[in-house]
Amino acid sequence: MSSLSISNVNKIFRSSNRGQVHAVRDLSMRIDDGQIMALLGSSGCGKSSTLRMIAGFESVTSGEIRVGEKLINRLEPAARNVAMAFEAYALYPPLTVEKNIAFALLRNKESAAVIKRKVAEIAQRLEITDLLQRYPTGLSGGQQQRVSLARALIRPADLYLLDEPMSQLEPQLRATLRGRIKEYLVEHQLTTVFVTHDQTEAIAMADRIAVMDGGVLQQYGTPRELEDEPANLFVASFIGEPPMNLLAGSVADSADGLALDIHGEGEPIRLHMPQGVHSDAMHRELATDRQVTVGIRAHRMLVGEQPAGAASAGDFVARVTSNQWLGDQSHIGLDINGNRIFLVTENPLDAHTGDQVRLHWPVEHLHVFDSKSTNALFHGGVPRSSAATRTPQTSEALGA
Amino acid sequence: MSIRSLLRALGLLAVGLFFLFPLFWVLMMSFMTNADILRSPPSLIFEPTVSNYTSLLSGSLASQVGTLNVDYVQNLMNSFILAAGSVVLSLLLAVPAAYAFARFRFRGGENMAFTILSFKFAPPLLVLIPLLGYFRQIGLTDSYIGLIWVYQLITLPLVLWIVRGYFEDISEDVEYAYRLDGHSWWETFTRIALPLARPGIASAGLLAFIFAWNNFIFALVLGSSRVQPVTVGALNFVTASGIQYGQIAAALVLSILPTLAVALYAQRFLVQGLSLGAVKG
Amino acid sequence: MSYLQISNLSKSLGRAEVIRGLDLAMDHGEFLVVFGPSGCGKTTLLRLIAGVIKADGGEVAIAGESMAEVEPEHRGVAMAFQSFALYPHFSAFENIASPLRADGLAEREVKQRVQEVAGMLRITNVLDHMPKELSNGQKQRTSLARSLIRRPRVLLLDDPLRNVDAKLRYEMRIELPEVLRQFETTVLYVTQDFKEAMALGDRVAVMLDGAIRQVDRPANIYRRPADLDVARLFGDPPMNLIPTRPQRHNGGGITVRLGESVLDAPGCPERLLDRECVVGIRPEDVHFLDSREGDCLPVRLEAVMPLNVRTAMLVTAPGALELTSSAWDIREARDEENDTAVRIDLNGAVYFDPDSGQRVQ
Repeated sequence: MSSLSISNVNKIFRSSNRGQVHAVRDLSMRIDDGQIMALLGSSGCGKSSTLRMIAGFESVTSGEIRVGEKLINRLEPAARNVAMAFEAYALYPPLTVEKNIAFALLRNKESAAVIKRKVAEIAQRLEITDLLQRYPTGLSGGQQQRVSLARALIRPADLYLLDEPMSQLEPQLRATLRGRIKEYLVEHQLTTVFVTHDQTEAIAMADRIAVMDGGVLQQYGTPRELEDEPANLFVASFIGEPPMNLLAGSVADSADGLALDIHGEGEPIRLHMPQGVHSDAMHRELATDRQVTVGIRAHRMLVGEQPAGAASAGDFVARVTSNQWLGDQSHIGLDINGNRIFLVTENPLDAHTGDQVRLHWPVEHLHVFDSKSTNALFHGGVPRSSAATRTPQTSEALGA
Repeated sequence: MSIRSLLRALGLLAVGLFFLFPLFWVLMMSFMTNADILRSPPSLIFEPTVSNYTSLLSGSLASQVGTLNVDYVQNLMNSFILAAGSVVLSLLLAVPAAYAFARFRFRGGENMAFTILSFKFAPPLLVLIPLLGYFRQIGLTDSYIGLIWVYQLITLPLVLWIVRGYFEDISEDVEYAYRLDGHSWWETFTRIALPLARPGIASAGLLAFIFAWNNFIFALVLGSSRVQPVTVGALNFVTASGIQYGQIAAALVLSILPTLAVALYAQRFLVQGLSLGAVKG
Repeated sequence: MSYLQISNLSKSLGRAEVIRGLDLAMDHGEFLVVFGPSGCGKTTLLRLIAGVIKADGGEVAIAGESMAEVEPEHRGVAMAFQSFALYPHFSAFENIASPLRADGLAEREVKQRVQEVAGMLRITNVLDHMPKELSNGQKQRTSLARSLIRRPRVLLLDDPLRNVDAKLRYEMRIELPEVLRQFETTVLYVTQDFKEAMALGDRVAVMLDGAIRQVDRPANIYRRPADLDVARLFGDPPMNLIPTRPQRHNGGGITVRLGESVLDAPGCPERLLDRECVVGIRPEDVHFLDSREGDCLPVRLEAVMPLNVRTAMLVTAPGALELTSSAWDIREARDEENDTAVRIDLNGAVYFDPDSGQRVQ
């Protein structure tokens, strides 16, 4: 169990008929011993290629991958001491589930009793105890996936790689197992990297998340950092359900503090931050007429009368277009000047389609992005510092 | 070029030569006289002649001893009639049957399908002796209908099993959707199931054609010179005065051409990917 | 008289009894969600209603008329499949036009109506594409357009958002009811995702092992699940289910023991006194506290899982007690995981009989 560091790794696939595909571009990141990292992105973003390079099933075109201090680029997969749960399960058909899982421990020459106990323990966590004596061919996709996971997790290894570990599971099982798996990983201090396209899963399980798009790392940070300080529009809209509300706007002329105009049907809506520390910093950076995208998370908007003490950038009236109560939260769709936004509240809101609702946008939760480069400029009035988290350019900016 | 691709090219060349050389030699032989063919050592340099082809097509073979009348063109026609006829009949019978086996669950279904397949396992000679007796009684010897009927032993199981697999691969949901749109069962079969199974039907038809064309024993036993296909007709080249290799070679070349043509034509129906991306990708 | 009436329906596939004694009634224009895990028989149910497979027993009636002798193409039922089931050799336009072609409509009217529906589902720009050129989201909308274009009496939707990306799924969850409302059709929507069930249905029917366990408004099922299985399914994170034995406290009120602590249980039914039962507590009623002051239950924090807007926390307490607590807002694990506590609010708790699994009033 050790740290994993990836330095300037590139992966280029060459094929005679399709030219070359630059699947992973100049990727660098590091996780510490015992931490859980998620590689998150849509299909084709390079996350699976990265995982396969760490495992050793793909060669590294350039760059270095180290486990602890050891360089593992040139090692065969078997020599890397890495455990992997494959997306395609890859179970051994002639062995029972119990033997499949135990297979991983055979190398260690532990006693049969110890092996049996360990297998039983992990089977119980993943709810596959009653499948132990069955054969892989009769199992459903979700069951096979859990067996594959058990087999990977039970092995003593330096690094654990999970490829879409819960993609086949039913929603309710996923919720239960998320907790159990995370608990197991934390308890045994297993350094883990997993690949997913589901941002809910990434946020729930990982200590740090690497968001990738087009082979380029967009941002690498904790769930909270990605939520509250997204590096660019891609990360801002990818993370979060409902997605961050993003509205096109521009900087308006204002003598007092900073003004941002939100575009839409009819008159623009003005957000105004009177003079003070935050607005002055933003005022200096943003020239009049600069095209910006303003963002605010659905659960950060406030409803109703303005609470005392909270600095509000603006309050306006929005029209309700949908209202869905989900048991422990309420998702409300609203229309502001032809722009569609979402509001999430903890309690049910008595509002029907067509009703008017009053909203406040607190300054501290306002995000401002540059419309052209899509990079983040301010989070809550504080300029984005590139030292805190990585701010790599988007693939367009790289000009490739 | 790297060593790897050079070695690969050499390997391909070797394999290619191994398979294609006999064909190439036959092609060459067809343009040689018997004297050239039998010369020892064999030589690649010779005076080409089309006399083999002309005698085949004209129907009279000249040799040292005398002339022999061989109606090769008629044999070619017979091969074509028999093979095409068998395939058409098999398609008409086996395609709907394949659909039934694929879609409907009925008692003894698997057993029935397997029984039909087992026809292919039967050694032809075992079947032929009694069959000859029956055919004589009904008067079907030396007829196209009789042979096409018997050829079903070869072609029907083939079409049935290949096409059934293709029907099974079509998601039932697509057919349900068409029914729910308001179309009848027959419309669903003809406008959805058949077009989607077309690659399977084409490849099954093609294979069946080739197997039927190449058949020798059924036609030999149950037919006569009137209906004999080229496979049986080749025997005629074994004459009293010796084997006319040149003419056999020419006959071979001519008999390969139709199957080659059918294969090339049918190729465009042999499209990959049955679901063609209309279901979840 | 209900618009769609299903009575005592049963169907076996091979030796497995997939649907058994199923009853369900829907009103005209209603949006009913059938919610259940995979393998519970939902797809078979839809196929039986559509008529593409025949039931072994029971009856399906639409608008008072039994469908026993009616072929699928004459039932006025349309279905959107989980696998989309588009015709691969027809363009998107032809796929959508297919029901109208069956009716034999004139070309001009076909064109106009296809354009209209395609506009509502925002796929006008891909109408000339073949299915394999469409993204999953576009395929789903094409499939929906095809099922809606004939304005069916009953629309069956088989988990339509299952094979669509998480991002698109959210958008469509909002958009779908709006689009469907314009068609004024009776909708039966099948899903495994409890959030979809909560968000979309006027009523939800929870289906397990081939039968319906509970039919009610989603909020009611959420607050008062009919049995343990429903309680486990309906909620994310799932409801805490703790075995316990209610006792009468000296002061007169009923209490329950959770782990090693005793808590007031105001809502506990009297007849459960001194009997083994299972208490169900929603994670949002287990309030996570940062310190152990005041009236609280000391716990150890085992795992923290941010869930978009809330955070689920797995905690344990002495007495083999394991609970999930759900807090508003995202939190991250802190170093002192041992100095935490929870306060459990049992006002909304529900109680189940451990043998039958049924909720006790």
